[in-house]
Amino acid sequence: MKNIFQEIISRRSLLRELIAKDLRARYRRPVLSFLWAFLSPLFFSVILYVIFSVFMKIEIKEANFLLYLMTAVFTWRFFQEAVSSAATCLMDNRNLIKEANFPHYLIPLSLVIANLLNFLPSLAILVFFTLFILKGVPLFIIFLPAVLLMHCMITFGLALIACLAYIRWRDTKYMLEILLQALFYLTPVFYSLSLVRQALSQKAYCLYLWNPFVAILSFYRLTLLKGFYQAIKLDVHWFAWAVTMPLIAVAVMVIGFIFYFKNRKYINDYLAY
Amino acid sequence: MQNTKIIELSQVGKNYQPSGFWALKDVSLDVVKGEIVGIIGRNGAGKTTLLNIIADVLYPTQGEVKTRGRKLGLFNLGVGFQDELTGRENIFLNGAILGANRTEIEEKLSGVIGFSELGNFIDQPLGTYSQGMRLRLGFSIIANLDFDILIIDEILAVGDLLFQNKCFEKIMDFRRAGKTLVITNQNMELMERICDRIALLEHGRLVYFGEKEEAVRQYRELLAKEGFFIGSTNAAESIFENTKKWADEPQNWGKILGTKEVVIEKVAFKNRFGFNCVSLKSRAPLRIKVDFTALNDIKEPHFGVAIFRNDGVYCYGPNTAFDGQVFPILKKGRGSFTLNYQSVLLAPGDYRVSIAIWDKNETVAFDYHDGCYKFLVKGQADLSNQLLNMPLAGFSKFPSDSGKIHPDLETLRNNWMQKLESPDTGPGSLRVYNSLHEEKNKFHTGELVKLSVFFPEIKKYDPENYIWVGFYRDDRIFCQGAVSKMGHTNKREFIFRSLPLLPGEYRVSFGVWNEREKKFLSLYHALYPLHMVFSKGDHGTVYLEHNWKVRLP
Repeated sequence: MKNIFQEIISRRSLLRELIAKDLRARYRRPVLSFLWAFLSPLFFSVILYVIFSVFMKIEIKEANFLLYLMTAVFTWRFFQEAVSSAATCLMDNRNLIKEANFPHYLIPLSLVIANLLNFLPSLAILVFFTLFILKGVPLFIIFLPAVLLMHCMITFGLALIACLAYIRWRDTKYMLEILLQALFYLTPVFYSLSLVRQALSQKAYCLYLWNPFVAILSFYRLTLLKGFYQAIKLDVHWFAWAVTMPLIAVAVMVIGFIFYFKNRKYINDYLAY
Repeated sequence: MQNTKIIELSQVGKNYQPSGFWALKDVSLDVVKGEIVGIIGRNGAGKTTLLNIIADVLYPTQGEVKTRGRKLGLFNLGVGFQDELTGRENIFLNGAILGANRTEIEEKLSGVIGFSELGNFIDQPLGTYSQGMRLRLGFSIIANLDFDILIIDEILAVGDLLFQNKCFEKIMDFRRAGKTLVITNQNMELMERICDRIALLEHGRLVYFGEKEEAVRQYRELLAKEGFFIGSTNAAESIFENTKKWADEPQNWGKILGTKEVVIEKVAFKNRFGFNCVSLKSRAPLRIKVDFTALNDIKEPHFGVAIFRNDGVYCYGPNTAFDGQVFPILKKGRGSFTLNYQSVLLAPGDYRVSIAIWDKNETVAFDYHDGCYKFLVKGQADLSNQLLNMPLAGFSKFPSDSGKIHPDLETLRNNWMQKLESPDTGPGSLRVYNSLHEEKNKFHTGELVKLSVFFPEIKKYDPENYIWVGFYRDDRIFCQGAVSKMGHTNKREFIFRSLPLLPGEYRVSFGVWNEREKKFLSLYHALYPLHMVFSKGDHGTVYLEHNWKVRLP
C-alpha cells in the first residue's frame, strides 16, 4: 500500500494530465465551460424544488424533503458517473496503455478524481441551499471531508474492479447498469429511513443498514442537514457505522488493488483481443 | 563501444490471453549498449510483440527480460495521442505517460515543437492532423526525452522525405551518444543501412541474429521460398539504355537531407586559374571542391555532384561509384573530394548543383545538399533557349555563321512530331551516320555522329535560307540546335566528333529556315528517333569529361 502511494506521488504529472484530459474532453467545447459544473446542478435543484416543494409539498420527519432529496441525488450522481465511466476506461484508453508501461490504475483514479472535481460545485450548491432553507449547518459538517474521502475510496475501489472486469467480460457494463439501479432503489434517496424500518422486520432492516451506501448517504445528510441527527437518532446505529465504514472503504479499495495486481499482466492481452 | 549487455532476453515466450496464441517462443537475444538492432520478419512473425515485451508494455508468459536504464517506445505513430487534445496538450500527456515529469517536459517543450516543425498547428486539436504530422509529433517527443533504450516500431516508413532524413540524423546522433535502439521496418535496404545487427523472426521464433547482410539474405530466401517476388538483386548491366534521370523537383532545392554521419562543410567552385568563381564561360573548365567531416566510421561511401538547369532539367550527375572508384571505408575525420570538368558543355544560363555523399545503395544519404549551390554560365544570349553547347566539328565557334539566327521556337513548340512541307523546297531527308559511314540511329555516348540533311528538289537559291537541325530529348526538352547557310548546295552535314548525349531516347528535327521571312519553309520536327547508350550509369543529359580527386581522412 505504501508503494502504491509512492508510485502515485512519483507519477503525479501523469495523473494530473489524465485528469486534465478528462475535464478538457468535457468542458472544452461548451462556451460556458466549467461553469456548467455549477449551472447543471443549480437548474436541477430548481426543478426539484418546483416539483417537490411547490407542486407536491411532500413532508418527511427527517428533514426538509427538498434537501433530503438533493443530498442523495447529487452524491449518487457522482458515484454513478464515476463508476460507470470508469468501467470502460481501460478499453477507452487502450491506445495509452499500448504505448508505454505505466500504472494503469491511474486511469480509473483520474476518472474518479475528475468526477470528484465535477461534484464539488454540486456540493457547494447543496451547502448554499441548506444555508438558505435551514439557516445554518450542523456542527457535523467538520466531518464532511472524511465522508467525502470514504465515498471516494469506495467509488475508486469499485471503479477499479469494474474496469478490470470489463476488459475480461464485456457483459460487465450491462450488469453494472442493473446493479447500480438496484443499489439506487435500495438506498433511501427519496424515501425516509423510518419508513423502511416500519416496513421491514428487525433482521431485514439490520441487513438493509449494512448497505454501505445507506451509511454514506446518511453521513452526508448528517454533516449537511441541521436536525437530521436528532430526527433519526434512534433509527440507525451511528457508532457502529462510524467504526466500520472507514474499514469497509479501505477494504473495498484494497480488494480493488489486489484484483488489479492479479490481472495487471493480462490487461494488454485482453485489450488487444 | 562498451560491451555491457543492456537488453537480455532469455527463452522469452508470449502466449496471448485469452486466445492462447503463442506469438513468441523461446527467443533469446542480447543487445549491447550503443547498438542499433533491427528486427525483421513477415507480418505476424512476432516483431511487434517482441518490441512490446522489451518496452515492458507486454509481459512475457515465459522466460526473462532484463533491461538497464530508461526505455522509451514509439509504437504505431504515437498511438497514445488523443484527438480532442491539442498538439501541445498531447506532448504533456504523452511525455507523462513515457515517464517524464512536468518540469522536464516544460524544459523540452520548445525543442519538441521546433523539431516537429508543426508551427501554429501545435495548438490545434490532434484530430485535424495528418498521419505525417502525427508521426512528426510522436518522433519529436521521444527524440527530445532522455532515454537509454529506444524502441521504434515500423514508423520510419511514413512522413515526407525531409522529415525521414531528420529522423535518421537524430538516430545517428543517438548512436553516437551511446544510446541503444531496437527498430523494425519492412524496407530491407534501410535496415541494412541503419542497423548494426539484425534479428530474423519467423512464426515467433528467432531464426537468425547477427550479421545484417546474412539476416537480410535469409529473409529474402524465406520470402522466395514462399513464392514472393523480391525483384532482381541489382545485377550490374554493362550497357545503360536509359537511366531515366532527366529532371529534379526544384521545390526541393535548398533542402539538406541525410543522416549527417558525414557533414559537407564547404563547397567551392573554381575556375581554370583556381580562383573561386560563381560564373564561367560556356565550355570553360570547372572544378568543384567539397570539404567534409566524417563523424562516424562509415562503409563504402560514394560521392556525387549533380548539375541542373534552373527549371529542374537534369544536365549531368556523375558519382564516384559510376566511375568505378570504391572506398571500402571512410574513417572519422576531415577530407575532401574534387570534381574537375574539362569543359562545361552547357548553354548560357543559371544552374543549380547538388552535392551528395551516399551510402552504397543510395538508401539514405550521409549528407545531401539538394540544389543548394548556384552558378552562372555566360555566353551568347541566343543560345540560352537550349540546354547544351556541344562542339560541332568544322565550326570554331558554334554556330559560326548563324549568330543572329533564331529559329522560331513557337512554331517548334506547336508542331511536335509534325511535318511541314512546301513546294519551294520539296521533300527533305535526314541520314545519321557513325564514323564508319554506317547509317544508324543508336549511338554510344561519345561516338562520332554525322547528320546529313538533303533537300534534292530545292528549286531556287536564296541567300537567306538556312538548314537547321535540332536535338530534343523525348520529353521535348530542347538540347541543342545548329544552322548552316544553304548556299548553292542542297545538302548539309553536321558532324559531332564526339556526341556527349547520355543514354535515353532523343529526337532529331531538321528543316529549312528563311531568315528574311522568319519562318520555316519546311520542317520535319522530332520525327527522327535517336537512341543513346553508354557503358556508365551517369545521370542527366550530357556527358562532361571529368576526373575525381578524393582525399579521405
